[in-house]
Amino acid sequence: MMTDAQATIDDMRARAETELGAAGTMDDLTAWERAYLGAQGEVTLFLRGLASLPANQRPIAGRGGNALKNELTAAWEARRVVLSAADLQQRLANDAVDVTLPGRQPILGASHPVSRMIDELSEIFALMGFQTVFGPEVETAHYNFDVLNIPKDHPARDVWDTFYVDLPGEIVLRTHTSPMQGRVMERQDPPVRVVVPGRVYRYEAQDASHEWMLHQLEGLAVDRNITLADLKGVLSEMARQLFGPDRRTRFRCDFFPFVEPGVDFAVDCAICGGAGCRVCKGTGWLEMGGAGMVHPNVLRNVGYDPDVYSGFAFGLGIERLIMMRSGVDDIRAFAANDLRFLRQFARAA
Amino acid sequence: MKVPLRWLNEFVDTGLPLKDLTHRLTMAGLEAEKITAIGDEWDNIYVGHVEAVEPHPDADRLVLATVDAGEHRLRVVTGAPNIAQDQMVALALAGARLIDGHADGQVYRTLKPSAIRGIRSEGMVCSEKELGISEEHEGIMVLEADAPKGAPLADWLGDTVIEFEITPNLVHNFSILGIAREAGALTDRPVSHPLIFDFAAAPSGPSDLVTVEAADICPRYIGVRIEHIAIAPSPAWMQRRLLAAGVRPISSIVDITNYVMLEYGQPLHAFDADKLTDGRIVVRRARPGETLETLDHQIRQLDGQMLVIADAENPVGLAGVIGGLDSEIHDGTTRIILESANFDMKVTRRTARELKLRTEASARFERGLDPNLSRDAAARATRLILDLCPGATVSGFIDVYPNPLEPRPMSMPFSEIERLLGVRYEPAQVLDVLRRLGFSPELDGEGNDATLRVTIPTWRGDVTQAADMVEEVARVIGYAALPERLPSGETAPVQRDSAYAMRRAVRSVLAGSGAWETVTYVTVSDDDLRRLDPNGEQTAGVHPVSWDALIRLRNPLHADRDILRPTLLPSLLAIASDNLKHERGVRLFETARIYLPSDEELPREVNTLALVLAGERAPLDRFEAGASSPLDVFDVKGMVEALLPRLGVSGTQFERIESPALHPGRAVGLFVKDELIGIIGELRPDRAEAFAIETPRVAVAEIDLDALQSVANPIPRDVSAPRFLPVEQDFAIVVAEETPGGDVEAALLAGAGPLATGITLFDIYRGPQIGDNRKSLAFRVTFTAPDRALTDAELGKVRDRIARTLRQRVAGELRT
Ligand SMILES: [Zn+2]
Repeated sequence: MMTDAQATIDDMRARAETELGAAGTMDDLTAWERAYLGAQGEVTLFLRGLASLPANQRPIAGRGGNALKNELTAAWEARRVVLSAADLQQRLANDAVDVTLPGRQPILGASHPVSRMIDELSEIFALMGFQTVFGPEVETAHYNFDVLNIPKDHPARDVWDTFYVDLPGEIVLRTHTSPMQGRVMERQDPPVRVVVPGRVYRYEAQDASHEWMLHQLEGLAVDRNITLADLKGVLSEMARQLFGPDRRTRFRCDFFPFVEPGVDFAVDCAICGGAGCRVCKGTGWLEMGGAGMVHPNVLRNVGYDPDVYSGFAFGLGIERLIMMRSGVDDIRAFAANDLRFLRQFARAA
Repeated sequence: MKVPLRWLNEFVDTGLPLKDLTHRLTMAGLEAEKITAIGDEWDNIYVGHVEAVEPHPDADRLVLATVDAGEHRLRVVTGAPNIAQDQMVALALAGARLIDGHADGQVYRTLKPSAIRGIRSEGMVCSEKELGISEEHEGIMVLEADAPKGAPLADWLGDTVIEFEITPNLVHNFSILGIAREAGALTDRPVSHPLIFDFAAAPSGPSDLVTVEAADICPRYIGVRIEHIAIAPSPAWMQRRLLAAGVRPISSIVDITNYVMLEYGQPLHAFDADKLTDGRIVVRRARPGETLETLDHQIRQLDGQMLVIADAENPVGLAGVIGGLDSEIHDGTTRIILESANFDMKVTRRTARELKLRTEASARFERGLDPNLSRDAAARATRLILDLCPGATVSGFIDVYPNPLEPRPMSMPFSEIERLLGVRYEPAQVLDVLRRLGFSPELDGEGNDATLRVTIPTWRGDVTQAADMVEEVARVIGYAALPERLPSGETAPVQRDSAYAMRRAVRSVLAGSGAWETVTYVTVSDDDLRRLDPNGEQTAGVHPVSWDALIRLRNPLHADRDILRPTLLPSLLAIASDNLKHERGVRLFETARIYLPSDEELPREVNTLALVLAGERAPLDRFEAGASSPLDVFDVKGMVEALLPRLGVSGTQFERIESPALHPGRAVGLFVKDELIGIIGELRPDRAEAFAIETPRVAVAEIDLDALQSVANPIPRDVSAPRFLPVEQDFAIVVAEETPGGDVEAALLAGAGPLATGITLFDIYRGPQIGDNRKSLAFRVTFTAPDRALTDAELGKVRDRIARTLRQRVAGELRT
């Protein structure tokens, strides 16, 4: 009888070890485990049947059976590690794809380069303490001209070819963002520090460098002790932020009725480094806009005392800045909105 | 203004190379816009002397000329009618590059020796056109007798022409002498002046030669009567200078008036004295109904605000603008009255604008000329006439100048310079600059209390206050010398523009949703608007406007596009149409203003968003095989639905609407309470066709962003991190076919109450299990409570409430 139990154990061990050695997959292993160690497994049933054995065989059968269970469990575990690693390997191999194929791209658009330039300038000037404000595009001649020291019947008005709106009074499409100078100063006392982006309109024929609808950004700072040196500092800093730290700026005398002294400012051409090229028309300099110290007549017109307060103002052409920075050679492209053009401005930073 | 350098050099020697001179002038405010060289093409062209002219043996119209140019002595064959022995001419040798005289425009040819009718011609005697000096090709150019034989032509005739931009304040630089004076001041060099006639030596009067009746707008009038004139071409040197300066030579007297205008900046006019009734000049306002035929052969209607030069009876010229045809100098003129006068700038400007007639004269007068310029200019012209017309005599002279303009004294704190420029200049340097500019400066006192006293010359009408004087100092020392710094001091009260922030958010969300921002023109035509609605009494769009209330331009660039747009849609649709020529699908938007009539002085400008989606939804790729389905109303509506919460907007409703441009079955309005603030839908197919868009569907939206802004919520104050897992439950609801899905969803949410934190419609089913004319909508609802895990019992109650609400509101049944 003693040999019966031992023989049964030996027989189970022999079969189990053979079969485990043959189990090649995780499924085989699961089946093997069910067959020997599961709730209805041979070894489990054998141990469960110990009570029915004669008393003298129970200790041997119990020890032998439990030892077999432990042995097989350890063997199963060892086999499982091997097989699951192999199985994972197989799954990974089956899952492989050609990762050089293109991915699923989200569909993205972008802001127009004009909006992006306005945002960028607005941020640069905000760092220098300027707030961004907006004004009406349809404007009175009073704010567009008179307040700005551009009287009717003065040749200075001819500088701005103007669209007139068919409304009572003298109403125009603003020819520049400068009318907001008057509106801002009338509604607040110094100190004033604002930039005014927006659309402006010039009654002129279109060609590669002329457009009747443009965008400008006006700057205005008024306080005690604002000087031309401050204007130079602000504009040079802006130019370096926009065009790079090595850029040089050039300031020369120019005439605009609402500033005195008047300034024309330019940045050296980043494309040719100042040697002269197509973009800078061979001059090495790119004119960025007009500026100057706010004319005392303008300060008087809004009720500021020009003996106490001084200020500077400047105007930047948005399209022009983009053209300078990106080498665009036809200003009409901005309003044409060809997606093939816009996509070239898609970078987000 | 075009300035020939040789002319300028006659009056000032700056000692600077051309490049430095133009740079100095440009930096100081007188911009040299363009520099052109005359004669740098003239290789192998020399000054030659015509030794002999013989007939060509075989051609009547040709001659053989022997021309001596020092080292080169050639025989040339020419057909020039005006060639004669002893002339000095421009002789071109083989290899010279010349403009083809017979071709239109400037066609260059290289000269080769050739045989003309059997006789070999070694070179060519040149016309002005062949040299690029003018269009003249009737005969050869004849040089002055003292031209140096054998010299390269460029040495004798070559020049550099600098073109300056004269800004409106620079009338004192609108002349050769004015620019010479500026160059002299910048470089501290003396300026010389031309030879002039001394009127003291001329007979004064007769007193009725000139009568100024409108002295208020004619501060000065000088009339000079000159007799025994014989009209002839002006000398070659004068013609060449005029040409270089861009003025066409005509005849001696006219050329002299133009020459002196360029030299001094004072416009002059010469009348044929024999054509003036009573031989006298009257300066007066035009009378109602008067007309004048001007030099350009136009008959001009005059009005009472125009200043005219008249004879005893009729106008003979428009003061400061243009002369009359009748009194024009002609070949037979023997007596002239030369006018050198000063006219009111505003009156001149108004007349020139009224008649759309800008002339060299009006351009100068309307900028405000110095009346003290008139006499020297008259004297210079008189001198030139007497020099160039042998036998001419001055027989009369009148200078009506009742209130001579005097230099004005001005004083200002010296510290003003530092206050505006941000730098302290040495008094000596400032005084030196102002002395050079002619301001006769003096300094009273020292340091911060010092007073700067100047005398403003009468030609500097542009200088009236301290800031002007500060500019004079700054521009001569140079803006480059100023330091750069950032403004210090108090900052203005901080305010952010919330509308700008919202537009930025809109752009960022829509760009992230696949749409491209556009910037389009603000004007549209009646046709553009009619494409959206051919018959309506109001325009289509989110804010309809009556056709007669549209805001129009008085002077549109394109006659038909005169409307300030009341809707962004036509402009955006045109851009979509253009892009669809090369794109399979477009998603475009614009945020811009529309212009609505208002009771105020200015129109109401409303920040508006427009969207246009058309064509294929997705690009061709390997993931979705086959053609993509077309973008439709749900694409644009979905974009708006995604946008609203990101702008902090809630509580808006979508309702079916009818809108003239939109497909009646595919149009929805965005409402705040009862107010329509957006239209969303697909264009009617006939409207899309009118915009030449051929995609099966065109989805559009137009939304009033200002209205949206006004209902945006403040930043929420009850944001918490979720701690309990959500529970998802599906509801299939059977309703009648005609029940709007939006109503079912609203009823479902109302029944679900605050625990429902998300809802998705994921299926719509129609079929036999449900019955005819019914549909089943399947929603997945997410339930979350902030403070507890939801129990089955709790959710069971919610489900009961949902079933009740659905029955009551939409006659819906929950399917289980
Ligand atoms: Zn360049």
